[in-house]
Amino acid sequence: MWSQKNTEPSPTEIKTAKELREKFDKSDVAILKSTENVSFEIAKDKKNVEVNYAISEVLLNINHRADIQKYEFYDSQSLINTFSLKYKNNKPANIYPKDEFYKSNDLFYNDARVKYFDLDFPIQGYTYLYDLEKKIKDVKYFTSIYFNDEFPVINKEIVITIPKWLNLEIKEFNFDGFEITKTETKNAEAIVYKYTIKNMPPIAREKLAPGPSYIYPHILFVAKSFTFKNEKTTLFNETADLYKWYKSLVNDMKDDPSIFEAKVKELTKEAKTDDEKIKNIYYWVQDNIRYIAFEDGIAGFKPDDSQNVFTKRYGDCKGMANLTKQMLKVAGFDARLCWIGTKHIAYNYSIPSLSVDNHMICVVIKEGKKYFLDGTEKFNSFKEYADRIQGKEVLIEDGDKFIIDKIPTHDAVSNKEIYTVNYKLENETLKGKVNKEFFGESRASFLYTYNSIKNDKKEEALKWYINSGNKNYNVSNIITSDLSNRDKNVKISYDVALDNHVSSFDNEIYIDLDYDKEYNYLDFSERKENIVFGYKSYDDVTITLEIPSGFTIKKLPENINIKTDDYEIALSFEVKNNSISYHKVFNFKNGTINKNDFESAKKNFENIKNLYAEQIVLTK
Amino acid sequence: MKYNYLFLLLFCFSITNAQKKEEIKNLFWNTNDEFGTIVAVPEKYKNESAVIIYKNENYDFHKFGKSVTYTSSVRKRIKLQDQAAVTEFSEFSFKDRFYSNKGFSFKKGTITLGIKIIKPDGKEIEIDVNKESVEEDESKKVAISNLEVGDIIDFYYHSVEPFKSSLEFGFEPVETTLGESYPILDLKITFETENDFFVNFNSYNGAPELKKIETKKSNERKYVLSASDVAKNDFPRWFLPLVELPCYKFQVFFARSGKFEQRADAFLSDKESDIKKTVSKEDILDYYNTKFYPSGNLNDVNDFLKGKSFSSDEEKIKEIYYFTRHQFYTRYIEAYILGETKIMSYPYALYDSYPIFFNSEEQFIRYFMAYLKKNDINYDIIVATGRENGPIKDILIQQNARVLLKINTAEPIYFGIFTPYSLPNQFDTSLENTNAYALKVSKNKKVTDIEEVKLPTSTNDDNVSKVALNVAFDVTLNTLKINKETSLFGNNKSFEQSDKMNFYDYITEDYEKYGTTPLLDLVRNKKMKEKYRKEYDALLQKMKDKQKESLKKAAEREYNVKVDDFSFEIVNTGRYGETEPFQYKENFTIKDDFIKKAGPNFIIEIGKLIDSQVEIEEKEYKRENNIYTSFPRAFNYKIEFSIPEGYSVTGLEKLNKTVENETGSFISKASIIDSKLHLEATKKYSHSYEPVANWQKMIAFLDAAYQLTQEKILLKKN
Repeated sequence: MWSQKNTEPSPTEIKTAKELREKFDKSDVAILKSTENVSFEIAKDKKNVEVNYAISEVLLNINHRADIQKYEFYDSQSLINTFSLKYKNNKPANIYPKDEFYKSNDLFYNDARVKYFDLDFPIQGYTYLYDLEKKIKDVKYFTSIYFNDEFPVINKEIVITIPKWLNLEIKEFNFDGFEITKTETKNAEAIVYKYTIKNMPPIAREKLAPGPSYIYPHILFVAKSFTFKNEKTTLFNETADLYKWYKSLVNDMKDDPSIFEAKVKELTKEAKTDDEKIKNIYYWVQDNIRYIAFEDGIAGFKPDDSQNVFTKRYGDCKGMANLTKQMLKVAGFDARLCWIGTKHIAYNYSIPSLSVDNHMICVVIKEGKKYFLDGTEKFNSFKEYADRIQGKEVLIEDGDKFIIDKIPTHDAVSNKEIYTVNYKLENETLKGKVNKEFFGESRASFLYTYNSIKNDKKEEALKWYINSGNKNYNVSNIITSDLSNRDKNVKISYDVALDNHVSSFDNEIYIDLDYDKEYNYLDFSERKENIVFGYKSYDDVTITLEIPSGFTIKKLPENINIKTDDYEIALSFEVKNNSISYHKVFNFKNGTINKNDFESAKKNFENIKNLYAEQIVLTK
Repeated sequence: MKYNYLFLLLFCFSITNAQKKEEIKNLFWNTNDEFGTIVAVPEKYKNESAVIIYKNENYDFHKFGKSVTYTSSVRKRIKLQDQAAVTEFSEFSFKDRFYSNKGFSFKKGTITLGIKIIKPDGKEIEIDVNKESVEEDESKKVAISNLEVGDIIDFYYHSVEPFKSSLEFGFEPVETTLGESYPILDLKITFETENDFFVNFNSYNGAPELKKIETKKSNERKYVLSASDVAKNDFPRWFLPLVELPCYKFQVFFARSGKFEQRADAFLSDKESDIKKTVSKEDILDYYNTKFYPSGNLNDVNDFLKGKSFSSDEEKIKEIYYFTRHQFYTRYIEAYILGETKIMSYPYALYDSYPIFFNSEEQFIRYFMAYLKKNDINYDIIVATGRENGPIKDILIQQNARVLLKINTAEPIYFGIFTPYSLPNQFDTSLENTNAYALKVSKNKKVTDIEEVKLPTSTNDDNVSKVALNVAFDVTLNTLKINKETSLFGNNKSFEQSDKMNFYDYITEDYEKYGTTPLLDLVRNKKMKEKYRKEYDALLQKMKDKQKESLKKAAEREYNVKVDDFSFEIVNTGRYGETEPFQYKENFTIKDDFIKKAGPNFIIEIGKLIDSQVEIEEKEYKRENNIYTSFPRAFNYKIEFSIPEGYSVTGLEKLNKTVENETGSFISKASIIDSKLHLEATKKYSHSYEPVANWQKMIAFLDAAYQLTQEKILLKKN
């Protein structure tokens, strides 16, 4: 208890807390002051550079009470030397850190651990002082510092001292619109960069959000070389050096393709064309290698030997890429590994840094053309590319050299989802036949989901997929195309009887023709960051209704036609041969909605929502 | 030399360890294994995700003096027929070394995991679990190599758990259906015990019986349950699996001598050599006669009663109940909360005497028995079991018994639950209308007799939710403004109180009623008091913010739309009377939703304003099992919709619905009075149980209620 003497917040602290809570009304805690120090030293073996990273923070409770966790990760390449919490009187807080394996759903096993405090702030204005000292054993793993946090940061200073013997470049990202200043001072020993950051909002935690490197202010460290006793050691001076390191790991592998020679033969013997051979191997890897990742030390960067992946029937992206490559090589193709950063990452290979990529695929080069193969993309059709890698740069192995290329992009139409239904009115039920067709990504994601469902539940799941369990949408006679063939569009047809979408009042019939009401869920009221959809989607929906005899149209909703840089949406009603045809096209050309256009998006989707609420009126 | 010795030791250890592992493996995979060669599954199961070719569970209880070794294992041989099954069995995790949580232990237990894969061509590949597993904190996990659709995975978990118990010790009871999520072709469960281990075991609902196997030693016993072609489980809505499906239950008790046998919390057989299959009335009588005795100091109650008079015995007893609920529970809630949140380190020290806090119903019942005994009030001890366990005559496991007090006043009073919200005559709803045993306490001294009785049931007149809504439609803002008042009675009340209230919502009414002191008023040190006050206030404000947010979300879930301008107010906590409601008000607005436009007119989805209704899906229409809903209950909704000026309403006809049958009813009526549309709907469930033959009748009224939620009215511009 004695250590807690004089820990009560002062009136100023309470006032500050209250003011900050007004401003950041979703946050419990603010980082009132933060000082980060980055310094470098040459490792004992003189072969690389170590990083000392220290953080001191003043944490202020801005809500009535706060119960939070303060945590830091480390792994086989880093050490936490200090991890402490103090009361504001500078006496150690009676809270003890926990230290656990960091468990992730995506990785079966990784070497990351987490140290954390469970700490409670009993009253508004209460303060803790947090200190961290961490050593990163190799500068190449110290890639960036983000300026924001899960809590708002009111004042932050980042001091980076780069000794003369170290050639290190700092690259700045997403500074626009934030209060960030930078100073540079030089002395005989070092250059000191100081970033001063004020009033940084907390990270947004929104669904369908872009990767953090696109939106949050941060700096990237590119350690190029260092000099010890006049001897210069190159680190990642340019992309060639990054490649050299990656390639050295690949060269260390001991692939033994003899283990799967027979399998390759079996897969290719009936194939009539090269394309067919490639497909057979690529699809075999997709179907038979489960994604199970071990990120243990260097295994995070070095692919597992192909024969291991083949025998184990599991691997991560690198293992799958390498097995695809080796199998294709056995089949006589020029196949190579490719490093790639998915859509989640903002950088390209102009930056020689480990943070540029997070994925590995395979390329087969045939008659001067490149075809990229991603074994982790289940039900991806050959020559089609998943949205998450489209347009991204790839680093392709080429002996001692490397090739940089780009994954081709497909437009939204290639992911089309077509839906047609012809309704007739029977009493107050809309009855009709539905035809659906899925292309590209919409097809692959449908097939993946369908094929991961238990056999005995598939029929039920398909029905659920169609009607989401909605009692009003009665489905029967479902017929599908071959749901194991990833090269053909998926076609589904079924009979539908839609209840409770038609109301008769007096001599009039009010009809809500729209069951799906696509994108009605979009809510811009509190949205902060760009909306990034899973892929560029294109919906083409045609609903026709035969006008019952004796009735005429009294009211049709008004058409909507919107064209922006990101999307084109048209909803139109037309009367043809005694039928109403309701046609909807949603074309998300870029797969995103940019936050700069949220004002107009808000209005546009409001109009769509209003149209959805609008009824067709028929009268006698 | 030392080094060599250590080396030798380690070497020996690893040899014996390897030997043990080999022995364990041989228990399952050996030349006599009749299932080891089976690779095919019957044609009828070809569309299943996976088929369990063989499932074998083994339980072995042995001892040496106080040292118990509990060995259990399960082996499954499963044909994987699709990707979902391969994914499910592609990762295993286990703790290979662990300390037992039973008795006390000095030696670590061990779990051995063995896995092999059998390819469709019959080739067997054994996984080297030790080599291929990785360690994460205390546990290990292994990713299964080379597993493909069409393979068979054959694995065993074998656990040896040593511990010491100088007293009696009961193992966790097991109550499970014979089937699981995949069909099982062959199932074998074995039990091996010796003297001092008492086994209760029985099979129900057509599950095969446990059979005794002769052993060579007289003190060793072995039993087997075998079944074949067990269907996979399917759990429909409103279903009690242990009542409907073939199942078995068992519990094993370790008791070294008669003394411990007496003390054991179990219905033990007379001899270890007999498996106890049923527990008779007499067994119950024996058990509770020795176990259930009055206990407690009555001074607090006597002080409370001083100077008070009551109109009847019933009233007096009920008042004592409310008093004890405060005195031994709610009085200390603040202390508990402030301790847990570390605002105070030991708040209990503030009370004059050491606080007595009842954290189980039994403590309360014993205390009340002491009062009844002292005051010569006649009572019975009722032993009952929840209907999810099957009837009382099938009770096998002591933990499944619930004890109530029946006080034989002119109008009998039952005491069965003890929580901050509980009331006299309230007991677990699963006990309603079940048969139970009444242990007759003669002259408040000894239980002399036992008889089978039926516990009272509540009706849909008792368990009622009344929901009244005033709805105003703002045409310009396209918004529905809703004032809602909910009054809950009976079981409907007790189901909601703990969800919608927090301790601060009722603690003051208790302090005021009993003249007790709020916790912080007991703090004498002014400075500390101020500190605690600040921190407690901060905690309360945070809790209230969270509560409001969660109540708003609950309203949003109820209507499945976004609500705004939400406020919540408790009108009556309903904690001081069986017929008093838990009553609260909610005000909120709904924008755009439930409103459709048709030119100048509006369609209002007025039916959606009654709470969300059960949606019986198409696949549920066919049903093979009886129906077990919570209890008979009724829901009454009254909506008063103010018709906006300049509009008139059409379409009332569809709001009038009547479905009535023996299982329940749904009746709704609409009318317009003084420019207000009145819609009243009442849904009633007649019983807590319906035979499957009545399912279509239930669907009839449930579907009518659902259909009302789909009905709309037209607001026509005049």
